[in-house]
Parts: sequence; structure tokens; C-alpha cells
Amino acid sequence: MFESVDHVVSQLEKQGYICDKRIGTVVFLANKLGKPVLVEGPAGVGKTELAKVVSAALGRELIRLQCYEGLDEAKALYEWEYSKQLLYTQILKDKVAETIQGATNLRDAAEKIGAEDSVFFSERFIVPRPLMQAITSEEPVLLLIDEVDKSDPEFEAFLLEVLSDFQVTVPEIGTIRAKSQPLVFLTSNDAREMSDALKRRCLHLWIDYPNEELECRILNTKVPGIDERLADEVVTVMHRIRDLDLKKTPSISETLDWARALLALNAGELEDELVNDTLSVILKYEGDVQKAQGELSKLLEKKSAEAAAEKPQPAPAAAAKKGILH
Amino acid sequence: MESKIVEFTNLLRKSGVRVSVAEAIDAFTAVDELSFEDRELFKIALRASMIKRGDEIPTYNELFDLFWSGFYDNLREQFGEMAGEMGENGIDLEQLMKQLAEMMSQMDGDMDLGELAKALLTQNLNELENMIREAAEQAGTQRIENMLQVGFFSRRTMEGLGAEGATEELEGLAQRLEDAGLSPEQVAQLRELIGKLMETLRKVVRNFTERELQTQNHDYMEKFRREMLTEKSFYHLTEEEIARMREVVTRLAQRIKNVLSIRRKRLKHGKLDLHQTLRRNMARGGIPFEVIYKQRRKDRPKLVILCDVSSSVANVSRFMLQFMYSLQEAFTKMHSYVFVSELGDVTPLFKERDVNVAIENALDGGDVINVYTRSNFGHAFHDFWKNHLSAIDNRTTVLILGDARNNYNDPKAWCLRDIHNKAKNVVWLNPESPSAWGFGDSVMDRYLPYCDVVEECRNLRQLAKVVDQIVL
Repeated sequence: MFESVDHVVSQLEKQGYICDKRIGTVVFLANKLGKPVLVEGPAGVGKTELAKVVSAALGRELIRLQCYEGLDEAKALYEWEYSKQLLYTQILKDKVAETIQGATNLRDAAEKIGAEDSVFFSERFIVPRPLMQAITSEEPVLLLIDEVDKSDPEFEAFLLEVLSDFQVTVPEIGTIRAKSQPLVFLTSNDAREMSDALKRRCLHLWIDYPNEELECRILNTKVPGIDERLADEVVTVMHRIRDLDLKKTPSISETLDWARALLALNAGELEDELVNDTLSVILKYEGDVQKAQGELSKLLEKKSAEAAAEKPQPAPAAAAKKGILH
Repeated sequence: MESKIVEFTNLLRKSGVRVSVAEAIDAFTAVDELSFEDRELFKIALRASMIKRGDEIPTYNELFDLFWSGFYDNLREQFGEMAGEMGENGIDLEQLMKQLAEMMSQMDGDMDLGELAKALLTQNLNELENMIREAAEQAGTQRIENMLQVGFFSRRTMEGLGAEGATEELEGLAQRLEDAGLSPEQVAQLRELIGKLMETLRKVVRNFTERELQTQNHDYMEKFRREMLTEKSFYHLTEEEIARMREVVTRLAQRIKNVLSIRRKRLKHGKLDLHQTLRRNMARGGIPFEVIYKQRRKDRPKLVILCDVSSSVANVSRFMLQFMYSLQEAFTKMHSYVFVSELGDVTPLFKERDVNVAIENALDGGDVINVYTRSNFGHAFHDFWKNHLSAIDNRTTVLILGDARNNYNDPKAWCLRDIHNKAKNVVWLNPESPSAWGFGDSVMDRYLPYCDVVEECRNLRQLAKVVDQIVL
């Protein structure tokens, strides 16, 4: 259990997730009030990661439901295990015969079987899917419903029962209540507006790209061994790139990938050539790469000009060389 | 506190942010779990429980400042200003305060300063804020309705605060300090300080009353509603808003695309899908319990866009073009033409260049037409009828955007009739409100009979609604 907002932030940091107070507060409240959290934001800012580290920090099991188009109750909640039911009837043939013994006509026999049908529609033959697992678990778990915006509106409506009352209804059995209340995280890329009904039941958390200072801290935590100056440069460049009008804006995960790539290449600082070679790590469209190259060469030029101003000796030497050539 | 939250909720609602009762209750419980001391946490907690949409966040931030923290900031600002002024007059406030405290501790117990006087003298802003809020509530400031009442309610609040008594007490203090042997120079400084303090207090109380008026004022709330980009009229956009609007359009288009893929799938069943059916029913020994059909996809429409790019509607054209081209995948073919008087085909422009660049090019005529003439819809339609009618077949939706202000030229409505006869449907978007159609040089009424859908389209919300109708 979290004690305060600062406690949340420090606990998450222990798990290697650097966040600001805003995220901490919402996580704290969700835990305290038992409310689901709807996490929105651009791709790759650590929405799913947040759920993972919270589960780790709380020591709860993480049950993940990945949403996609066409996801239905059978895959999210439960399914009758038809083949198992069939197998049981085959094996229990004798018992079935016993049950209908003494039945004089078809109707009687059907009645007798009917009286026993709860055997075949019991929890024994249910295959629990993530939602059911989360609800029937003895220990409280953390349920992550990932990319809920990819699911169909019908599925969203069906989620409402689970989220507000923490119960599910199976027609043949009845209503199953949660033994322990799971902490629920829903993530969305804002591809589709979620319904008001769903939003109303959730706390809302918008995670945006971090500011430079926070991103530096994230980088230093996630990519140990990176030179501090290089980290600074990488973050500066990333923020510059994000300001451009791109098809796909690079996210934190791209920053980390890039930093790892640079580390693998033993880069000490950013140079024009190096940046051009590795730009494909952060930008996924050719058009974007071209746009960024223009912007970055300007930035790097400025940087090298500054560096040159700091140590002016080599410049005259180069000029002198030129003079000889002419 | 709770009544303040309820009030704040009402304020949000008035400004066009939807907050349900359940969400307000969440806000209460959330705030209960946190301390009020940290304004930042408080702000986050309220936001997490009440604000669920990205585009509502700026409104929320502005209102929050207005309602919760703005006054405190103002208080700090005013008192800071006062200290600055004193400094200009050669008075070091800090030192004066130190000396005062020293003197007062020597004269212990003798001072009967009221709470207000104490708070003022020590400049305890938190305390002051609470006192002013309380006094204002008792004075009934929340019932304020117009500018003329600001003076009245400020006065009543001052009375409620006991400002007069506090002045007297402070004057008395100065007198006694003088008697106790404070140098005349310092006494003068102290007197000036007292005067300034009272003046600042009057200022902040007035400011508080004005704020209260703002929060009560419906017109002011209307402003927020209009500020929301989706509601904002295309006619009045600043450069910055155009840039922001571009993002909003992209997001909106993306959203429609997503819905599209889902809804289109749900079209009627097609033929039996034998392969899928067998696969799905393997668990049942191949007996087809569950039958699966092939899903028939709805044909994607063809689109022909005719855009008026005269200056009066350029902005609307800009966003519609952007919208349509963001939705390119939803259409099999897309042709776009721009016109003022003559018609220009800008389809190749969009093929060659980045959408945003192409739009800017199209709007300044794209080297194909002269944009500096007067609008002539009749001429443009005739041109289309003569040269491009073959672009239309029975699966084409023709989308026309313009205000139909024809400068008293021949409307040539029969051209539109022929287009209408050939096309699947004709949709006209007019940025003017319906009451203006057909008046002055508007020939909208002449074109009306040949359009299947005619919509007023002045802001993003209306545009999105129309586009939704077209693509689905």
C-alpha cells in the first residue's frame, strides 16, 4: 500500500520508473479510492510500463488483457470448454444412463437430464480469461487492459459492469463477485474517443512527453553507463525533433533505443555523420528523416561553431593550410 | 470546502466542460485523501477525477487559476508591488519590520491588535486570503451580477473585515511606539507603511470582487466555450490557432478512420466462409456449431472536391482539404479542384507534395488560377461541366465548399443539376448560416434543389459531422 504521493514516486523510482508528481498523485488516488485509471498519451511514453511497475511496487500479480479489433467476451471474460464437456459426457456415459433409468418416455428422460445440467454448466467447465481471472483471484491483482481504444465499442460497454461493480454475470451460473478488488489500469492511444460512461468511471491520467530534465533522469536510469554529456545532447536533440511537424513523433522508447545504439557504437558525443547514420533508430519514415536531417545539421553546426569558439587554435591552422594550397 | 468544489464544478459546466455528479463525488473523495496545503496536488487530484478529455485541459487550467489560485497570486503580487514602492521611497521594509518586532516584543502584551491588523502587519497572506474569502461570503459577493456592484460589494467586504478598526488599531500602535521612543523618522515610515497596507488591502478586495463577478458572469463563460477549438469559427483564427487547429484536424481524421474500419466491417454478411468455419469448429469435431460468414466490405466512395478559395472562405477550405486528405484511405479516388472564378485542378499538386504544403499552394491558386478576381460560382461550375464532367460517375460524392456569394453573376444552376444527375450525391458546405442563404448576392437558394445534403459548416465540430456522414 502506498502511504503518500511522494512514497509512490519513490517506490516507482525504485522499480526504475522515473515520474513526476502528477503521475504519482493519480496512482496514489487510484490505489486509495479503488478506482480504475484511464491512461492516455502518445505512443511510447510508458503507459503500459507504468502499470507494470505499479504491480511490481505493490507486489501484485499483473494480469494483462491486450485489446484488438474483434475482441469479444469469449476471449476477454470466459468461454465454455465445449470439448471438455463432451469428453465428460462420453466418460460418464454409464452415469448418464443411470440417471435416466426408470424414465418411461423421452420427456421424463429429458427432465432427469435437465435436473442435472448444472453439473455441466459449472465453473469446472469454464475457461477463465483475463477479466475473470482478475476478479476471481484470491489475492488482489493488477489488471491491465491495454490499448482499450483498439477494441470495439460493444466491448467497451461490456467493460462497464466489470469496472464499476467488479462483478461479471455468467447467464448459466449467475453473478460472480470479485473476491478481492483488482487495481485496474486502462491504456489508450487516443485513436478513438472513449465513451463518456467509461471515462466517468475512471480517473484520468494524461502522460505527455517528459521535459528535458525528467527525460535526462530517465535516460540515466534506463541506460546505465551513458556519458552524462552525451545524455544531455541526446535529450536536447530529441526535444528539437519533437518540435518538428513529423508523421510519427519519436517517444521516450526511441530516446532509449537511440542512446543504447550510440553507446554500442562507443560514441562520446554527437557528430553529424553519426547522427545521420543512426537517425533511422528514432524516425520511422523517410520523409521524417529528411526533415530532421536539415534541422539537426543546423543544430550540430551551431554546436561545433561554439566548440570552435572555445578552442580557437585549430581554426587558423586550417586557414593557413588553405592559403598554401592556393 | 465542499461547497467551493461544487461551485467550481458548476463553473466548469458553465464553460462547456462536462462534469457528472459521479465525477464531482470522486473529486470530493480524492481531495479527502490529500492535504490542501499543496496546491499542485490539489489541482492534479481535481483534474484526474473531473477532466477526461485532452482538449478540456486548457480550459480547466485557466478556470482553476481564476477560481483557486489566481487570487492568491494576485495577493502576493500586490503586496510585492507595495514593498517595491516602499523601497523606491527609500524605506527598507524588511529592516523596518525587524525593528517593529523588536519594539513590540519589548512592549509585550500591551498591544491589542485585531486579527486583521496582525495579519496585515506581518503580511500573512494565507491568513489574509481566508479572511477576505470569509468576509466576502458574508457580504454576499457571490450574488454579484454586474460591474456597477463591484464598489458596493467591495465596501461591504471591507466592512466585514473590520478594516476601519484595523486602521485605528495600527494608528494607535504607531502612536504608542512614538511615545515609547521610536525615532520620528521611523514613525513616519511606519505611518506610511500603514497607509500603504490599507490601500493594498482595498485593492485586493476589489480585485477579489471583480474575480467573483467574472466567475458568475455567463458571457465570460461563453468566451471559454468559443475558445475551444472545435467550436471556434473558422472566420476568426490567428496564425497560432491555425497551427493548433491542424493538429486537431489530424486527430479528428484519425479517429474517423478508426471508427470507419470497425463500422465498415459490420456491414451485412457475405457468403459462408468455409475455411474459417471449419477452423473455428475443430474443437467440436468439425461439426459446424458456429457458422462464419465472409465479411463484405462496403465500397469506398470516390470523391470530387470543389473548393472556393476566395479570401472569405479560405480558412474553411484549408481545413476541409486537410481533413479530406488525412482521410485519403477512406476513398478510392480523390479529385480536387479550386476556384474563384476559373477552375483549377489541384489533384496533381497533392500527389507531388506534402499535404500541408500542397494546401498552402492550392490556396494561393497553385499557379493554376488567379485568386485575385471576384467569386463566380456559375463560371466555375460551367467550366467543370465542360471539362471535367467525366471525373464523375455514379459512385462519386461531389463535395462543394463555398458561400455561394456570386457577385450577381449568372449562377448557371443547370450545370450543378447535370452534376447532380451524374453523381451519387452532392454535398454542399456553406460557412454562412442558413438565414443568410439567398440574401444579397448569395445564390444558395438557386443551388439548393440540386444538392442532397446542405450543411452549415463554420467550425470543426460541424465539419467532422459532415465528413462522418460522407464516409460512412
